Amino acid sequence: MPTSNERTPHSSPDPEKVALITGASRGLGKVLATFLAGQGYALVVTARGKAELAKAVDEIRGDGPPIVSIPGDVSDPGHRARLLRASEDWGRLDFLVNNASDLGESPLPPLVRARREDLLRVYEVNTLAPLALVQEALPLLIRSHGLVVNITSDAALGGYPGWGVYGASKAALDLVSKTLAAELKETGVGVVSVDPGDMRTKMHQDAYPGQDISDRPLPQVTLPFWAWLLSQPPIAVSGGRYQAQAAVWEVPA
Amino acid sequence: MRRADLVFDRPEDLFARTPPEKRGRGRDDVRLLVTLPDGHRHARFEDLPRFLRPGDLLVVNESAAIPASLPVEGRMGDILLNLCTRFRSDLWVAEPRWSPGKPGPMPVRPGDELHVGAARIRLLSEYPGLPRLWFALADRPFESIAAEVGGPIHYGYTDAWPMEVYQTEFSRVPGSAEMPSAARPITPRIKGLLEEAGVGFASILLHTGVSSLEIEGETVEGEAMYPEPFSVPRETAEAVNRTHARGGRVIAVGTTVVRAVESAWAPEGVLPRSGFSRLQVNPDRGVHAVDGLLTGFHDPVTSHLALLSAFLGIDGVRSAYTEAIREGYLWHEFGDSHLVIQ
Repeated sequence: MPTSNERTPHSSPDPEKVALITGASRGLGKVLATFLAGQGYALVVTARGKAELAKAVDEIRGDGPPIVSIPGDVSDPGHRARLLRASEDWGRLDFLVNNASDLGESPLPPLVRARREDLLRVYEVNTLAPLALVQEALPLLIRSHGLVVNITSDAALGGYPGWGVYGASKAALDLVSKTLAAELKETGVGVVSVDPGDMRTKMHQDAYPGQDISDRPLPQVTLPFWAWLLSQPPIAVSGGRYQAQAAVWEVPA
Repeated sequence: MRRADLVFDRPEDLFARTPPEKRGRGRDDVRLLVTLPDGHRHARFEDLPRFLRPGDLLVVNESAAIPASLPVEGRMGDILLNLCTRFRSDLWVAEPRWSPGKPGPMPVRPGDELHVGAARIRLLSEYPGLPRLWFALADRPFESIAAEVGGPIHYGYTDAWPMEVYQTEFSRVPGSAEMPSAARPITPRIKGLLEEAGVGFASILLHTGVSSLEIEGETVEGEAMYPEPFSVPRETAEAVNRTHARGGRVIAVGTTVVRAVESAWAPEGVLPRSGFSRLQVNPDRGVHAVDGLLTGFHDPVTSHLALLSAFLGIDGVRSAYTEAIREGYLWHEFGDSHLVIQ
């Protein structure tokens, strides 16, 4: 059930824009949620840790638009259904951000020693859940001509030792994004992959336990990219794979 | 490249405070310092064709300056909000400042509201790495606010002149916060002389933001840059590649053109490309698609100067600027011109 939503969806007029963000309790997800709330987006946010999510929502919420927060695991179909019901209550979904990701074991194991259950779990969260959310949210996304953002990583391309489990799940997600973009072209729904780049987040710390990562920028470094992406027509950018910290963000010709 | 490399002194009496046409002269009646691989030449702007060859290509920026400086009212009284970069009509990156001559830092916080007439503007969050810039959200298009109450962005060393002073022969698409000023002296007369000399023209679009950023960190390369909307059309990409294939030189008219064309560069040539770019051109990166630059004289410790160093090396910039200061060339957007050919 929705928790800690101050205003239920029906207590206020339908918002003009609705975003659903997974993994919103910290790091990139929280920074993006805060930025969107400031621009008037009504938000559905989720993360696994209940207390941490509630605390994040307190910080995200200004005097602005309503936020529905529902703690849970995106690989759980029942949980996804609850998230989508909250968006349906507002009648639209403009922006779906599949940000929740599982890094797998920490420290990162070499692929030759990766355990099957770990692989399955990482794929469940990083690849299958984002695809399932798009499938389940499709009518809402079509109605809103929405944009789907799947958060990816340079590990999807790199072949970096230790990053095989996570990287392969993100490489699969990249192909999911690209294929969905092509399949949904006629519907007005855009799908992009976004690699936010290295950032000073808990996930990055988990990947490098015990190491000093203070030279990495905070996730706020990606705000200009989000401002740009959200200002483009979803169809114009659809199929793109963007690096949020790159020097150039290009609209595909 | 170290910040300290870009520090130099230039006397304030070399600031051009008034456009030449307001001093009773022609727009093109300015001086031209020419820096060639074998040294410097002193000339007038109308001599420009002498330093170019048939088959050379001048690339100009079609962006036109808008009245981007808005007088607004907020918690700290009457201040200015200088628009910098458009993301959407209601979402810009902007610089709140006390006045043209007094930048801040301003005691602003996320959520602060500013008013101008009936319009309300909310400051959302600081621009990452550039705390003098803010994301600003308005309850109506910023363009309509600017059209109603905006004036040209200007700084302590000049007055606000009528908007036409900030347009060039090539200004076609409104959107720049500040004038792309390098083409100001290219009057129809000069353009005719260049065409007679067999020099071609091509254009890009880059809406430039507030002035060249002062580098604050120890090194130039790590400095945050804000992005600028740009577009390099197919005809221009082809003209640049054709010019190079035939042995001609591509001369950027202004640093904005260097940023746009270099943003569209790939090892196989310049490609038609559009989007947002915050490419920093510096000696480390170098220049790949442009052989020369027509520009003004830039302030110490700025990203513009780092860009110039990508053409000349830091020693070359120092040599040119020592020459310019000794010979009394005028600085800034209403000042003299500098042609650099590699």
